[in-house]
Amino acid sequence: MMSLISMEFLLLVLVAAAGYYLIPKKFQWVWLLVFSYIYYVTGGVKVTCFLVFTTVTTWMAGVLLEKVAQAEQDRFVCRRKKRQVLVTALLLNFGMLAVLKYSNFAIRTVNMVFGSSQGELDLLLPLGISFYTFQSMGYILDLYWERTKAEHNLFRFALFVSFFPQILQGPIGRFERLGTQLFASHSFDGRRIELSLLRILWGYFKKMVIADNAVIFVDAIFEDPTLYSGLAIAGALAYSIQLYCDFSGGMDVVIGIAGLFGIEMDENFKRPYFAVSITDFWHRWHITLGTWMKDYVFYPVSLSGWMRHFSKFAKKVFGKQTGRVLPICLANIIVFLVVGIWHGAAWKFIFYGMYNGLIIAFSGLMAPRYRKWKQALHISDNSKGFHLFQILRTFLLVNISWFFDRAYDVESAFRMMKYAVTRFDLSQILTIQIGEASGTTYTFIFLMVILLGCLAVFIVSLLMEQGRDLEGFYVKQHWILKCMLFAGLILLLPALGQPAGEAGGFIYAQF
Amino acid sequence: MMEKLLEILEDIQPDADFENCETLIDDGILDSFAILSIVSELQDEFGITITPSEVIPENFNSAKALWAMVQRLQ
Repeated sequence: MMSLISMEFLLLVLVAAAGYYLIPKKFQWVWLLVFSYIYYVTGGVKVTCFLVFTTVTTWMAGVLLEKVAQAEQDRFVCRRKKRQVLVTALLLNFGMLAVLKYSNFAIRTVNMVFGSSQGELDLLLPLGISFYTFQSMGYILDLYWERTKAEHNLFRFALFVSFFPQILQGPIGRFERLGTQLFASHSFDGRRIELSLLRILWGYFKKMVIADNAVIFVDAIFEDPTLYSGLAIAGALAYSIQLYCDFSGGMDVVIGIAGLFGIEMDENFKRPYFAVSITDFWHRWHITLGTWMKDYVFYPVSLSGWMRHFSKFAKKVFGKQTGRVLPICLANIIVFLVVGIWHGAAWKFIFYGMYNGLIIAFSGLMAPRYRKWKQALHISDNSKGFHLFQILRTFLLVNISWFFDRAYDVESAFRMMKYAVTRFDLSQILTIQIGEASGTTYTFIFLMVILLGCLAVFIVSLLMEQGRDLEGFYVKQHWILKCMLFAGLILLLPALGQPAGEAGGFIYAQF
Repeated sequence: MMEKLLEILEDIQPDADFENCETLIDDGILDSFAILSIVSELQDEFGITITPSEVIPENFNSAKALWAMVQRLQ
């Protein structure tokens, strides 16, 4: 499938956007559907079949759910029938995702446990399958809980599942917000298009100039952690830079492209490295996955009948306060187990999920005590010092989690963590070779490019975190300054960025 | 009975102004742990069942809205 960083893709966007405002408005959504399928089919006809399967089964289940709700008078029969439709739709779609994504992981695990040598299967993994499956199943669950209305037009629904800017890596949209915008007509708005183009360029800057240069250092360090044992901390930091700029840069591009069509997508990032706790981090990092998990896993699991029984039991045994929080902690750990598995079929991702889940559960249990300690020590949540302490503590905890995320396996993650505290030798970084051209000067220049790029991202993020209206500030500038900004960004990309072919695609497009 | 509700809320989140605030969710004053703690206590105290479809900002933004939900489900 064509990369978001390729001339073909830019051409597709250009033609799609230009045509969108030239054709009659009532056909605008059809236009988007056609381009969405053109885009997806370039990835292969076979993978498109999976997309069509999810679209058709989800659409049918949706219409059926609505019919049952309207036709059935008996409340219990209605609930039973609705549940049957829901479970069928969930099993078909999550089942397909599970088979395609996790069969080989299951085979590997069985081989490891029983010492067998069952060969792995040669399975297709349609790009973006995790994203569009989650988006579609969110729609079905919303219908089941009667939070939204069913879409009767199959083709309109097909657009909701396949909208091309977001299909590969999100943001995961909700039907209520995204659907209505996709089907509405939009007039040409020069200001909106200008701001969207700027956002696309900013996204490409983060991805090509920062992430794709940082990846060279990340790969070198994580692929040979023993050779670069003095660089474990630098490796984690470089990965935190790479991952953020890769994913949030990708989101800037996606949200910018959707903006060209007048569609406002949900934000996926809100300056996550300014988070004051791991909970806060997940409110700022991959936000649409977090809210999906909250609405469709965390709340339903917490409010289920068996959790209510567990809550009563826990209150009796552990007392009111702990008993109340314990079931929520358990539900939270389940959520992060799912988040871990969602990230990939490997034990290190399960560790990654559990690490986050356990920290959040622990802070949930400790919250009343923390409050008392803070009172006793006269620490105010509003003090700047404490705020900074919380940010740095969270950043440290997040960086520890990146070892699990990026390291080859759990064992090397622990080894690198050991190196992080026992060995430290930053000078090793200059020995990392960049491509064919070797030499410390060349490596140094690369490092400087990354650091200056990060500085630019940091300044912009800090201003936004302080609540400054950067868009308003930009709009007020003289047009010559605006042109210079555009030209600067356009020139910087090929001059300092890695060409798309060299650095590969986006990390999250693999999910 | 509204007093009982306020008592429950203040026990769960002592630093929030439940009597006047109408943006408990919109302003992030209640996080998901607090929301579920409230649900758990309301279920036990008032003998109601709160389903996922009730867990929406409109029902949790103020003590008044919470009370309306409790009455509706009783």
